[in-house]
Amino acid sequence: MEIKIKNMKKIVFIIIVLASNLGACKKTTPVDANGLLITTRRECSVSSFELQGTDFVSVRVGAAIIDTTAQTVKVTVQFGTDLKNLYPQFTLTQDCILDPKIPGLMDLSDLAHPRMWTVISGDRQIKKVYSLLITVQPR
Amino acid sequence: MRHQHISFSILLLAALALSGTSCKKSGYALPTPSDKLQNEAIKRTLGPNIVGQPIEFAYAMAILPSKGKLVSCTAVASIAGAPGTYMENRSFYTAQNGADVGVPVGTPAVTSGATTTVTYNHDTSAATLRYYYIIPEAARGKTVTVTFTATSSDGESISTVMGPYTIAKMDMKLNMKVSDGNLMYISIGDTAVYNATDAAAHAGSVDLVYLYRNITTSAFNHALVAPAADPQYLPGVTLPTGVNRTAKLLKTFNLNDHNLAPNEQYGGIFIDDIDFQTIDLSNSPNYTINLKQDAGVWVETADGKYRAYIFFNAVTTTGTATISMKRYALK
Repeated sequence: MEIKIKNMKKIVFIIIVLASNLGACKKTTPVDANGLLITTRRECSVSSFELQGTDFVSVRVGAAIIDTTAQTVKVTVQFGTDLKNLYPQFTLTQDCILDPKIPGLMDLSDLAHPRMWTVISGDRQIKKVYSLLITVQPR
Repeated sequence: MRHQHISFSILLLAALALSGTSCKKSGYALPTPSDKLQNEAIKRTLGPNIVGQPIEFAYAMAILPSKGKLVSCTAVASIAGAPGTYMENRSFYTAQNGADVGVPVGTPAVTSGATTTVTYNHDTSAATLRYYYIIPEAARGKTVTVTFTATSSDGESISTVMGPYTIAKMDMKLNMKVSDGNLMYISIGDTAVYNATDAAAHAGSVDLVYLYRNITTSAFNHALVAPAADPQYLPGVTLPTGVNRTAKLLKTFNLNDHNLAPNEQYGGIFIDDIDFQTIDLSNSPNYTINLKQDAGVWVETADGKYRAYIFFNAVTTTGTATISMKRYALK
């Protein structure tokens, strides 16, 4: 009886050791400061762009022109658009992030000094600065 | 070892006994109905309580027929209601087709000051009467309570107090017709729409110009523009003498306030005092163009005296629109 209990204790001990080893081998997933996954992707670009007014309706006239070589987003907005209260929305290639973040409505009225955003790739190694160039449609 | 076995058995038995009692069905006895006069009230209207609008209540009262019958029903408001305040003398039930059917149970309501009374003239032991309190100007920005009281023939009396309800500070004006070239000058302070002649007479209170332009090169459409805005937003408009105020305007869409647009399919939103108190228009321009049906515009007057929300109920392509307004006095 005593021998059986001793054997049982050994088996339990081995199981615990194996289980702890399994836990140690678990692969951790890297995330950035915002809790977003850091991947191996190196693509780094803007794929589409939207600009909305205070009524959350698009103010674009035609589609935005995205030049990934010149790293610009050109958009023409309707005559009378309130440039001090615009909500830009970038769609990026997979796993990319945008810096700085867009808090909501923004003042984009200084057309002479275009706002710039940095697109950062999924592996967080490549950074590209995009300028937003706004033109107002004439009346 | 034997002791251990016995104690384990006892424990097992105790656990089984416990689980057995937990499954025991508890007895249920039908509640004994109270033989006293009873009452209950609900508020039927939703949304902010606005001066001039009704607050509707349904007040139910009942007594066992063997004990007596209902004698009277009284509603006493803490602030006397405006003219039009009344209590139904009919008790309603819902017919099979869903319609409310009224059955007269008392004399028409008598209102004296803050008290409205219906006296029963039919043998009635249970009824629900509706009370419509028209919010008076005196209640603006204050709270109102309503005390309902029922009396029965056996000398009993019972009361229920409803509220307090906060009465909004804001005003409301519905379905104002505006038209480009005629009734196009809007005064928030006066909650009125003027033509050029009247606008000149009220120049100091004109805050906005309504105009419609069908321009092929840009989307101008319906617009609300402050008189002091850049003239490019007032094409072809010659302002009446003295009409020169500015304003701050913020465009919205699909903010279908249920008071301003009661027939809208998705009109489940209510704009209340707090919305006017908290909205920040400091960074807003003095014009909004390209407005459509269901568009809305938040406005702050140049003197900072009023904030308003103007909703476009309907528009036409001939330069007319129907607008409704909620207005909040800041000062």
